Amino acid sequence: MAYVVTDNCRGCRYTECVTVCPVECFHVDEKMTYIDPENCIDCGGCVPVCPVGAIEPDYRLAADKKFWIDVNRKRAAETPVLAARLPPLPGADARRQELGR
Amino acid sequence: MARTTVVGACPHDCPDTCSILTTVEDGKAIAVRGNPDHPFTRGRLCVKVNNYEERVYSDKRVLHPLKRVGPKGSKQFQRISWDEAIETIATRWKSIIATDGAQAILPYSYLGTQGIINGLNVGDPLFNKLGATVSERTFCDSGSCTAYMMTIGPTPGVDPESFVHSKYILLWACNTLGTNSHHWPFIEQAKKAGAKLVVIDPVRTRTARLADWHIPIRPGTDAALALAMMHVIIKENLVDRDYIDKHTVGYDELAERVSTYTPEFAAQETGIPVEDIVKLAREYATTPPAVVRIGVAVERHAGGGQTVRAIACLPGLIGAWKHVGGGLLQLPIWAFPVKWEVLMRPDLQPEKMRVLNSWRLGSALTGELGFDPPIKALFVYNANPMAMVTEQAKLEQGLEREDLFTVVSEHFLTDTARYADIVLPATTQLEQKDIMFSWGHLYLSYNNPAIEPLGEAVSNTELFRRLAKAMGIEDLSFYRTDDEIIEASLDWTNPVLQGITLEDVKAKGYARLTMPSADDWAPHREGNFPTPTGKCEFKSTITGGGNFVVPLFRQGYNGDQDGTPVDALPHYIPPNENPQTTPALAKRYPLSLITPKSHAFLNSNYGNLPAQTAQAGEEQSVFLHPDDAERRGIVAGAPIRVFNDRGAFEAFASISPDVMPGVVMAPSGYWHRSNRKGATVHALTPPAYADLGRAPTFSDVLVQVGKL
Repeated sequence: MAYVVTDNCRGCRYTECVTVCPVECFHVDEKMTYIDPENCIDCGGCVPVCPVGAIEPDYRLAADKKFWIDVNRKRAAETPVLAARLPPLPGADARRQELGR
Repeated sequence: MARTTVVGACPHDCPDTCSILTTVEDGKAIAVRGNPDHPFTRGRLCVKVNNYEERVYSDKRVLHPLKRVGPKGSKQFQRISWDEAIETIATRWKSIIATDGAQAILPYSYLGTQGIINGLNVGDPLFNKLGATVSERTFCDSGSCTAYMMTIGPTPGVDPESFVHSKYILLWACNTLGTNSHHWPFIEQAKKAGAKLVVIDPVRTRTARLADWHIPIRPGTDAALALAMMHVIIKENLVDRDYIDKHTVGYDELAERVSTYTPEFAAQETGIPVEDIVKLAREYATTPPAVVRIGVAVERHAGGGQTVRAIACLPGLIGAWKHVGGGLLQLPIWAFPVKWEVLMRPDLQPEKMRVLNSWRLGSALTGELGFDPPIKALFVYNANPMAMVTEQAKLEQGLEREDLFTVVSEHFLTDTARYADIVLPATTQLEQKDIMFSWGHLYLSYNNPAIEPLGEAVSNTELFRRLAKAMGIEDLSFYRTDDEIIEASLDWTNPVLQGITLEDVKAKGYARLTMPSADDWAPHREGNFPTPTGKCEFKSTITGGGNFVVPLFRQGYNGDQDGTPVDALPHYIPPNENPQTTPALAKRYPLSLITPKSHAFLNSNYGNLPAQTAQAGEEQSVFLHPDDAERRGIVAGAPIRVFNDRGAFEAFASISPDVMPGVVMAPSGYWHRSNRKGATVHALTPPAYADLGRAPTFSDVLVQVGKL
């Protein structure tokens, strides 16, 4: 089991999640972050710090979001570990407002 | 909507004692999260506690007193009033006391909640006053504590936060990421600064996977490794002679003792290659600051006590204590100035009491122990023995006794509560007030109640006030309010509480004990061990009375101790059950079973709740090495039976090279209902005590596994 980064991270990528993750399980590309399910210890610390509510535990994902489990696994294997917070993507704050967060 | 945030503390029997922020909306708790300001919690809870509000509002909660209306164990109950429940209990107890004597009453509890006022000792004054049978609770670290006392005394040891300064970290029988995860960031920081992380564990755990070196070890053989490390350190003159001369006793005898524990001997016992044992000893002795963190599992076999004796000698031998971030971490609980006597009230005890150890509940209830008077009344709180205790078949038989009057105070109808005559509704941590020690860091915590109690649930403190009143106890100390007990439970004049007021802790939720900073504190740089000699005792000076259980674990009673003679020097006691020591038994039962904590349960807590079972796995699984599985024709996911002469349980096979060949791992904490055969892993574990402190021998058990 693991936590999963989903849609809301795209176009925002605030990366607050890395500040709380104890096991460096966040990976990153130019669009968003991904959780390595092999390293995630299910502590859930990243959930409340994400400004756009993008992170959920895999066992509670809605059916139409389940595909993110595979996306996180695959992309975490292909992308580098994110060691420290990055500046949010341009337009992140506008998107955050759009998401009603 | 009125939304507030209430600061509290996690109630569980875990070293991390997290600071919890509960969001409350119109009197209802809607979310919990880790306190981002707390230096150890750092904004995270864990897989067990993240959904705590779901535990609180679970539709399975027991919210009113119940009385049994069907056969024992049938789960047929009827709601009654608190008055009727208390009246029934008091009437029955008084009648038992009149006919059989108070010893026929047995309390049974542990750390289902570990707050200072609602936890370990909350019922002790009442049962001490009644003169009931003493419950000797050696569930966790009791053997380790006896051994620790015998070696370096009740010292907090290395500050867990000082690990950031360590250069060699040895996690011994400790899956930090699974059961102590808030310690991990300190270890990781050390790693980033160049520390080497070594994990000694029969299983390649999550923690072992992130280590620089994982050393798999046969269960129950750890003392052989520690003794052989000392052999190498002494033989190769890697000792700190100056530290030994100034701050230890018994070095010459220790040197002579370990001369026979060669790496070759240890290799044979542990399954670790000779060259790895030598390398480990050399690296440990020559990479200061070196620190050892022992987990609770290290004691759970025949020689568990002497294992901790041997490990506790290591830092003294190399002078590791001289450095910040060097030494040993066992339980920093010893730093907290708790007035245990005030909580336990041993002064109320009759001179002579009868003692029953936690692992003998089954044979006590069946009458096999020959108790006279027999146990006629059982009072269970903060515990679920049917799921977590040895002698499961006997226990079930005992709990079915028609003449046994069983009361269980609980959140849920657990495997134990279903056998009760009376079930009482207990509050969860969000509904009660408490002050908390920690056995994994140096912060005192305060748990403010976040919500009103649900239904008619009451805290343990209130439960025992009601019982005391019904039993006609006049002593006013039994009727103190929670605030009064909190105030009285700590020695506020102790230097570690200097500058800390109750009001501050209450408002902020926590306070670091007033101790030197983790960045420049080496607690035993100048010796000052809290032992009779003030030194690290390689040769213990307190073995004269033989084996004992620390009175804290036995209601403060120090009579009728085990007393088995104890060798004052550390030594190797082979497992009771393993292929080397019991080859005949191993022919029938060739696999060593270990039963670590499940990923998402805290002992049997959460074994019934959807969020945690979803994350732990809905049903009991058993992990086998691919070679062991193949030999038995077992494929992944297959239903299997695990058995020995004591019992059997059923499970699903998980096949993984992460467990050593010859070892099977069955995570504990599942309830009977999640097992196909209606038994838990403890149907197979032995009632035998470890050598010291009557610790359990859960990791010292041979089994066979077969396809179903």
